[in-house]
Amino acid sequence: MASQRVFQLGLRRAAVPSFSKVQPAGRMVQRRLAATQHFGESEGQQILAKQRLRRPVSPHLTIYRPQITWYASSLNRITGVALSGTLYLFGIAYLAAPTLGWHLETPSLVAAVASWPVFVKVGAKLAVSFPFIFHSLNGVRHLVWDVGLGFKNVTVTQTGWAVVGLSVVGSLYLSLLA
Amino acid sequence: MASIMRPGLLRSACQNPAASQRMLSSFARSGIKRSSPLIHQLRPQFVHPTIPKSTRIAAFHVTQRQQIIPPLPQKIHGTLNDPVPVPNPEPVHGAYHWTFERLVSVGLIPLTIVPFASGSLNPVMDATLCALLVIHSHIGFESCIIDYIPKKRLPISRMVAMWALRIGTVALGVALYSFETNDVGITEAAKRLWQA
Repeated sequence: MASQRVFQLGLRRAAVPSFSKVQPAGRMVQRRLAATQHFGESEGQQILAKQRLRRPVSPHLTIYRPQITWYASSLNRITGVALSGTLYLFGIAYLAAPTLGWHLETPSLVAAVASWPVFVKVGAKLAVSFPFIFHSLNGVRHLVWDVGLGFKNVTVTQTGWAVVGLSVVGSLYLSLLA
Repeated sequence: MASIMRPGLLRSACQNPAASQRMLSSFARSGIKRSSPLIHQLRPQFVHPTIPKSTRIAAFHVTQRQQIIPPLPQKIHGTLNDPVPVPNPEPVHGAYHWTFERLVSVGLIPLTIVPFASGSLNPVMDATLCALLVIHSHIGFESCIIDYIPKKRLPISRMVAMWALRIGTVALGVALYSFETNDVGITEAAKRLWQA
C-alpha cells in the first residue's frame, strides 16, 4: 500500500540522525513491521478452534426471501414434530398416569373437554386439525415428488398454495361444523 | 494494511522490531535513539484521511451480535492436506431406509382417510394405524436428530438423543398397545373428544 511504504520510507529517513549517510534509492525494500511468535502444532490448533468460535455466521433464515417452497417445508417439519411430540408425550403420560395419580382414560378426557367453553374447544380443534391436515396434504405432495412429478417451479408454487388453502378450509370445516 | 486497524501492532513492532526487521539493518547501528515520539507524530498523517476515526481505531469484531444458535464446539481433525472423509455407502441406511420410509407414509394415507369417511376403525385397522404412526414418527424424529446434531461435532449429544428417541418410541408403542387393549383406541377416542 502506497501510504504504508511512504510512511516507512519517511520513518527511515527521520530515524537517521546523521545527515552524512546517504540512503541510495535502490536499497528501498518494503519491510513489514510485525512481531511473530512461534507456536507448536497443538497450541496453534487451539488458537484456530478459538478463532472459529468467534467467526461471524452469514445470515440465512433471516435474509432468505420468504417462498412457499421453504416455508411449506419448514411448516411440514414443525407440524410433524408438534403432532408426534404430542403423541409421544400423551403416550408416556398415559403409562405414568397410575403412578402419578392422573386420570387419562377416555371417559375422564371426554368429561374434561366437555367442560371447556365453546371458543376454547373450537380453538383447540383448530390447533389440532390444521397441523394434521397440512402435514397429511404436504406429505402427499412429497410423495408425488418422490415418483418424479410436479417439479416445475410453477407447479411447486401451485401445489404449495393449494395445500395451504385446503388445510385452512379443511380445519375450519372440522373445527366449526364437524 | 492490518496496521491501520491494529494501531497497537505497528507501534509495538516499531518499538521492538525483530532482528531481521530492523529498518537500518544494512547499516551500522550504534546508540540511535528509538524514535517512538516521532512515530506517534507521523502515524496519523499517513492514514487515509477519509476513513472516519472510529473505524480506524476499532478492533476486529464479529458482525453478528446475537447468534440464533451459538457455534458448536470446534474440534480440528487432521490437517488441510487430508482428504475429506467420505462415509462408506450402506444401502440399509441409504436407499432401503428411504424406500421403507415412503412405504410407511403411503400406507398411512388410506388408514387416515377411512376414519374420516366412515366414523371409526375396527380394532385391527386401528392397531395397524397406531403401528404405522409410531414407525412414521420415529423416522421423522430421527431425521430431525440427524439434521441438527452432527455426529462429528457432538457425538455424545447425538448418542443421548438417539437413545432417548428409541426409549420414547418403545414407550409409545407400549402405551398405544395398552390404550388399544384397555381403552377404546385412538380413532374412537379422537371421535369422542371431538364431539364432547
